Amino acid sequence: MPADPNMKIMVVDDMSTMRRIVKNILKQLGFANLDEAENGQEALAKLKADKFGFVVSDWNMPVMSGIELLRAIRADGDLKDIPVLMVTAEAQKENIVEAAQAGVSNYVVKPFTAETLQEKMNKIFK
Amino acid sequence: MYLVREAIVAELDKKLYGELGELARYIESTMGKLRHMESPMMATATQIPQASEHLSDLTRLTEEGTHAVMELTEEIQGNRARAVTVLNELAEALARVGLDAARVKLDTVKQMLADDDKHLLDIMTALSFQDLVGQRIKKIVAILEDVEHKLLEMIVVFGLKQEGGQAVHDGKATEMLKQLEASRSTALKQDLVNNILDEFGFN
Repeated sequence: MPADPNMKIMVVDDMSTMRRIVKNILKQLGFANLDEAENGQEALAKLKADKFGFVVSDWNMPVMSGIELLRAIRADGDLKDIPVLMVTAEAQKENIVEAAQAGVSNYVVKPFTAETLQEKMNKIFK
Repeated sequence: MYLVREAIVAELDKKLYGELGELARYIESTMGKLRHMESPMMATATQIPQASEHLSDLTRLTEEGTHAVMELTEEIQGNRARAVTVLNELAEALARVGLDAARVKLDTVKQMLADDDKHLLDIMTALSFQDLVGQRIKKIVAILEDVEHKLLEMIVVFGLKQEGGQAVHDGKATEMLKQLEASRSTALKQDLVNNILDEFGFN
């Protein structure tokens, strides 16, 4: 199913510059309904409080990491079907395997281009 | 038989005393070396938190700079989006009055704007360097904290005490830290510079 341009997207990263970059790219790609959180815990609370169609998350974050957030989403009956894209500097094989086993929808390594993000989104929402 | 045993014991005692004396000299020499390490260890243990703080400052400074560039980039992106809307309206108006040649020129301008939009997006994504630098600095700060902790442990374990309670700060690290500390207070804002210049009759 193609991505709904009106769906609400959650951008999770502890670095404010990275959140801004991802949000800017998503806006340029036609998605304007965006929210953000600086760690997994804050993101999870927002995800439970509203309806989101997509999550873009970093891996390394204080309080609750991206992989913990992913596991929490997949374990929650109401949230488990939300596609989660990991956008992270962690590019070790074990990280990718761990994310895949936890149910990640796709994986982007930083630094990345707008084309890479779009390509991954196209694959998730085909 | 008794005399032979006495002689053997005396010989063993002599050897034992000799070895104990050697061990005492070794301990004395080690303690001397440790005393020499006191000052640099104490100095390093106090310099590490300062250096970590400056590294964290670096993350903050690059973050502020990156946001300033992003602010301007987003402003340009917004202006260009509005310009494209105006150009589209203009193209429609030109088409209505049959000025197709002018409309084609407008399409060329729109293509140029679209190309530059791509460049602006590339500028935004290139700024992700700040995130990568910030993450590495965080890791370095964590390593420095660990080294500081281990140094303090050694100071406690060996009971090292700096005479007068002050570590002797000299060498390159101290000089560099002094310069970094100075750069904090000397990085004056232009308003402050103008005020000082006013006092000397400038402006």
